[in-house]
Amino acid sequence: MDFKDDLKDIDDKLIKELNSISRDKIEYWDVRTGVSRGATLDFTDLKSKEISSHYITECGIRAFINGGWGFCVLKDLNRKAIITGFQKAIKLARLSESLCKNKFKIVPRDPLIKEFKARAREKLEDVDIEEKINLVKNHEKIASEYSSKVKNTHTLYSDGHANSLLINSFNNHIFQDLSFLRLFSLVYTQDNGIIQRAINSVGGIGGFEIIKTEKAENLSKKSAKEAVDLLNAKSPIGGKFTIITDPKLTGTMIHEAFGHAVEADMVLNNESILKGNIGKKVASEKVNIIDNPTMGQGKIYNLPYELFGCYFVDDEGIPSQKTTIIENGILKSYLHNLETSSRMDTLPNGHGRSSSFSSRPQVRMGFTFIEPGDWSIEEIIQDTKNGILCEDFQYGYTNPSTGNFQFKCKFSYKIENGEKKELMRDVSLSGMILEVLNKISAIGKEVDYSDGMCGKGGQSVRVCDGGPYIRIEDITVGGLN
Amino acid sequence: MESDSDVFGLAKYGLKLIEQNAHELKCAEIFFEKNKYISIDIEENSVKNSETGEDNGVSVRVINKKGALGFAFSNKLEKKTVNELCNTALKMMNVSTPDPDFYDLPGSYQNYPIVKGLFDKNLKVLQLEDSMSYVNILIDVCEQDELAISQSGSFITNYTKTNIFNSNGLEVSGKDTSCSLSSHIIVKDKVSKETSDGYEWQSERTIKRLKAFDVAKTALEEAKRNLNRKKIKSMKVPIILSPKGTVQLIMRPIASAINGESFQYKRTFLVDKRDEIIGSKYLNIEDNGLIDGAVGSAIFDGEGVPCKNKKIFEKGKFLKTGLLHNSYTAGKEGVESTGNAYRSSYNSIPSIGATNFIMSNGDITIKEMIKDVKEGILFDYTGDTPNISTGDFSGLILHGNLIINGEVKEPLNETMIGINLLDLFKNIKALSKEFKNYGAFQAPYVRVEDVQIIGGEN
Repeated sequence: MDFKDDLKDIDDKLIKELNSISRDKIEYWDVRTGVSRGATLDFTDLKSKEISSHYITECGIRAFINGGWGFCVLKDLNRKAIITGFQKAIKLARLSESLCKNKFKIVPRDPLIKEFKARAREKLEDVDIEEKINLVKNHEKIASEYSSKVKNTHTLYSDGHANSLLINSFNNHIFQDLSFLRLFSLVYTQDNGIIQRAINSVGGIGGFEIIKTEKAENLSKKSAKEAVDLLNAKSPIGGKFTIITDPKLTGTMIHEAFGHAVEADMVLNNESILKGNIGKKVASEKVNIIDNPTMGQGKIYNLPYELFGCYFVDDEGIPSQKTTIIENGILKSYLHNLETSSRMDTLPNGHGRSSSFSSRPQVRMGFTFIEPGDWSIEEIIQDTKNGILCEDFQYGYTNPSTGNFQFKCKFSYKIENGEKKELMRDVSLSGMILEVLNKISAIGKEVDYSDGMCGKGGQSVRVCDGGPYIRIEDITVGGLN
Repeated sequence: MESDSDVFGLAKYGLKLIEQNAHELKCAEIFFEKNKYISIDIEENSVKNSETGEDNGVSVRVINKKGALGFAFSNKLEKKTVNELCNTALKMMNVSTPDPDFYDLPGSYQNYPIVKGLFDKNLKVLQLEDSMSYVNILIDVCEQDELAISQSGSFITNYTKTNIFNSNGLEVSGKDTSCSLSSHIIVKDKVSKETSDGYEWQSERTIKRLKAFDVAKTALEEAKRNLNRKKIKSMKVPIILSPKGTVQLIMRPIASAINGESFQYKRTFLVDKRDEIIGSKYLNIEDNGLIDGAVGSAIFDGEGVPCKNKKIFEKGKFLKTGLLHNSYTAGKEGVESTGNAYRSSYNSIPSIGATNFIMSNGDITIKEMIKDVKEGILFDYTGDTPNISTGDFSGLILHGNLIINGEVKEPLNETMIGINLLDLFKNIKALSKEFKNYGAFQAPYVRVEDVQIIGGEN
């Protein structure tokens, strides 16, 4: 697997040439190139639907002048194509600049010249395709044999190994070598005309060791058990309730109900209800929210790999870092990329991210979480007269301009007089961004996280979120009854 | 991929290589795609970014006599890469599991339907400079309104050329164009200082059909209609789905639930409902890939099978033939492919997708329909999707208004709706004359009785 060969044309000579072409014409440029190879194994009911392999090269060239951006996407990484694409991007930037009303500059940063390599204990390319197939088959077998109520199983394995190079007009030269893996399990069950499903996934940055942890090994069994349990769950009754969210759901809520509204591009575009709220109280004073996508956090959770939503540098070459978003209930900072930090007169904090080398970096979250408090989960439940304990999520969404959000839970248990009771399915929770964080009445001490993909503007990026168990008063719960 | 002759040469080379190197080969397919796009982004109601790009690629799909499948793709269109892909795909096939349900890839077809207006030569040669007039119209609408404070939006054009070759003698090529506009406008009330938004988009095959003014105006009106929201009490009332809502709560869920693959795996709430009347007489839906100039139309599908027009629901009856198939699911069921193989790009094996999905409209106007409601909800859209395996829907109304005594009143905050789709289909009581197209969906306003609304007010 010769990655270097595909990137060989991006050398000092090319950089020199790009600098000479761009001189006096534009104020900023960057070129991101990448080569990736990987495999996808898609199994349903113990049979392979897709066993595939890919080999992709990509290049995204950005040029900027006085508020206008130009972007040119190429698949060829040869010198001639890059130079032509670079000239095109300059032309596009000038066109944008001629029409744009918001003039601004990109504030220069110190150059970063560095090579980053994420550790893969068991390199993906050293693992035979048969071994990957056997792993997936085994997960399918475990799920399908779990119960006679299991009617359909689906296991998707995907991995990828990419080498990339980011160069820009700050004289950055950043080479990265990363591999990732994700295993996804979906199980459908059926009983008495009722169909239920459960989805679980595990992902990380590293090698084949990612699917050898206990969590990964139990993945399909977990899906099967959940899908069977859900068959006997009741539909919720709608209304207002006190709810307790588990760490996974806490994470989703922080991400959806709050995180998107602190993305500075949303703030600049008047799309965020949090515009003008820096320094103001937006949450109960017990609440501290952080985004910290730095590498090296796998070990905190006893994992031999890097967390799925973490990275060394963002897609504009800014190192990932810990950002305090809310401190003791006060909004401290938005999340920024180069453009938003330049315009809002602050430092970039490493949130300019894109889904691939052929997409433009947007402001995106990394690993967003709420910091722990001092309640144990038992204490929270005992202290709750009537409510719902909500565990794990299916999905969530928000409208940052109105502040309305919703997320859907996987499992929910009724709580009556401080005791956990019957299981309910498809409980959806709704609220208003600026109200909900003020309604938090207890914060747990044990934290956990989950990973997934987050979509915005047609791009999906890897993210993590998490936190402790928390209790929120007076939340609207949806239901069919 | 500069010319067809290169593609033909590469395909011939690849298919021959596969036949020479394969053990127990049943069939093979080589798929080429060439795509070019331009895109202009509006942010803060101003042009922000201009973009052009291209993506050319090739994929190889091979299946042996036991039904085991191998697949490989790349965006490098060189002989060397095609050679590597063919060998990798065969390697994948050799380690893949047998699938007795696999029947065959399509054979060659004598005749393909004639569908006009899928390719706009103006779009193929359109330059970014010429596109700016569309963008400027969007910007003007926002700028000239007193309450509008910002807009994000986009103008995108696409040109795609496809070539499909398989070892059963199928050889087809086609080209098409598409263009789209979107507008997301933010408004702010002068007194209450509350903000709100509205969203609208349009996609077409030919640029002449794009109506930039209407798109921005609709987004703006929707944003204003959603200002000064209030929480309401829970209630059970009739709702009127806007065309966007109809797409979200009726059409997309049906399109997913009649997907031959999900259906065969018993993953959808319509399993066991074939040939049954499950909706009111107002539920009439067809999947028609042959409409001239329509976004969902095509001459052939992602495997080269001719597209068709199929009835799915007739007077509330879910027709026995109302499933969408590609060659795999059709072969498994022993029927002909319906021409619904869908490929988002060269990088995926064909799944199944609807073509133009059309719900019949009715004979009353939307004005009359609203006038008829004493107390109810006008449902614009949600950020949610129904659960396709259970048919349950419980979601937040992102945009909706109260209807009181036949008039559209205050917009809603923190209001959810909960219903099972089978109940929703039964409770359809009226359809509007007016309809709208959103991409490949065509939808009217729909009145549904007895819907549970969960309000945020105690």
